[in-house]
Amino acid sequence: MATVALVTEGRAKRRTPKHHRLTLALPYLIPAVVLYGWFLLYPMLDAVRLSFFEWSGFRIQEPVWVGFDNYVRLFTQDAVFWTAFGNSVVWVILSLILPTGIALILALGLNRKMVGRNLMRAVFYIPAVFASITVAAMWRWIYNPTLGFVNQFLEAVGLGAWTQSWLGDPQFALGSIFIANIWQAVGFSMVLFLAGLQTVPVELIEAAKLDGANAWQRFRAVTVPALRPTTIVVIILTIINSLKVFDLVVGMTGGGPAQSTQVLALWSYTQSFTNHQFGMGGAVATVLLIVTLALVIPYMAWSMKGEDR
Amino acid sequence: MTSAVATPVIAPEIFDDKSARRRRGRPDYVGIGLWISLGITALLWFLPLYLMFMTSVKGRPDLNSTPMWSLPTTWEWGNYASAIDTGDFWTTAGNSLLIAIIKVPLGLAIAAAAAYALARIRFRGGRAVLMVIAIGSMVPVQIGLGPLFSTMLNLGLLDSLYGLILPYLAFGIPYQIFVLYGFFRGVPEELEESARIDGASTFRIFWQIVLPLAKPALAALFVLDFVATWNEYAMATTLLRTQSNWTIPLAVQSFSTQYGTDYGPMNAFIFMSAIPVLIVYLLFQRYFVQGALAGAVKG
Repeated sequence: MATVALVTEGRAKRRTPKHHRLTLALPYLIPAVVLYGWFLLYPMLDAVRLSFFEWSGFRIQEPVWVGFDNYVRLFTQDAVFWTAFGNSVVWVILSLILPTGIALILALGLNRKMVGRNLMRAVFYIPAVFASITVAAMWRWIYNPTLGFVNQFLEAVGLGAWTQSWLGDPQFALGSIFIANIWQAVGFSMVLFLAGLQTVPVELIEAAKLDGANAWQRFRAVTVPALRPTTIVVIILTIINSLKVFDLVVGMTGGGPAQSTQVLALWSYTQSFTNHQFGMGGAVATVLLIVTLALVIPYMAWSMKGEDR
Repeated sequence: MTSAVATPVIAPEIFDDKSARRRRGRPDYVGIGLWISLGITALLWFLPLYLMFMTSVKGRPDLNSTPMWSLPTTWEWGNYASAIDTGDFWTTAGNSLLIAIIKVPLGLAIAAAAAYALARIRFRGGRAVLMVIAIGSMVPVQIGLGPLFSTMLNLGLLDSLYGLILPYLAFGIPYQIFVLYGFFRGVPEELEESARIDGASTFRIFWQIVLPLAKPALAALFVLDFVATWNEYAMATTLLRTQSNWTIPLAVQSFSTQYGTDYGPMNAFIFMSAIPVLIVYLLFQRYFVQGALAGAVKG
């Protein structure tokens, strides 16, 4: 009886008009909204605004309105932009295949009870705790043309002809950076997949076993569907992190040689802070923003589906 | 120590049909093959760490004359001392720690409050606010770096260690709100209602009922945010100038001069710089996994 009374009273409470609830919510919301608006949303929108101006970034100079000129220059005259754009696209696609695929395979393997399982998980996860900028420094040393591991190893096993200036050759530089990225990125996705594997219903696996389903059938019918939400999260995080790639490139090549490893995030930064063209930097940032939103909003729509407001 | 790092997931043994095979008296070839391939992959993954360590204990003569994978002829533990010196370790680590210690708990508190308002108070326009914030968690930081520089300049907070905390908070909050929102949505309404009838204020409900339930998520976010803050480079390099204000990721630059890079001490520095992050990870790893799980399943 008492519970019934409680519930009805509660319901009544929840029917407080929505505008009244806003006053109730404001104190909780204001710090986050102010910080977010001031130091994240505003700078991002301002980058879009700046893309219509020519501005050196120095305070003594006033930004000059140039309309779409920056975009015209970006798309027709700025060869580096297209390299950066292409590299960012390649980076996203490769990231979705290699580190993500390896992480999934490792998670499936390491979900099994075996000797040294925890040690192996540790080995795969540890690279993820290093700062990307330090990973870049480490790997620059590994790729050092004369003293670095890669070339020394190739010499030692008689493949001396394959030695390269890995970061100095436009043909190999981006791939070389990407290998360092694989090394670092696998651990986090692996942990997410391992966590996701815990949601696989054991009873279903057992039932499938009793019905005579083999390992592959059990995997297809039970594990894959259960892993779907985790996979979506891993994919979206991978896309976001790929579009953000900055530290590794800055630390290993700075975008060179001959801009061959340039990516959108770095090109925007370079245009603004090195070339003192905040307008062009803003235009690159805007393109990056649009690309990001195009990839992320479908996910947002999906994840908000089923919310009852 | 290392093995503990990885205990994150104590998973049910879904693919473990070893016992079944053993009963049939056949050796578990699949299991052995799997173990060997995983072992080889793990060795491959360990290799860079091993090379880094070897580099960190070699002097210049060894670096120039012995293969990278060989043991040093003389162990140069002095590299660690000179790394502390060159990288100004105590100052930069102190700066990074100061930022993380203020920023991480504060950011979590702010994000939790906002997530609570969005998930439990459910006011008019809440959904739009949530949408805008959630999108913010996905957009690359670099997009706003140019204008952020101007903003910080206008506020007189450029090259200020404490000033850096503000954009750090702003860039951490959206993702945390996003995750905590999902958590708070899952809290049964009855809990809240009965507390309300007992006369609890909105704040008490937040503080004493809803927040404690989110402990695993908060712990997971704490680890992630600590690691991210400690390792953050793009904003720090844009907004900090003076060397005494540098954070750990900026200090790595100290080892490269126009005459080349001092690889021994640099690698020693890199190892030392990861220690605080490993400690935090070890302390919170148990929760980290529950939280990662919750975050992943929530979607």
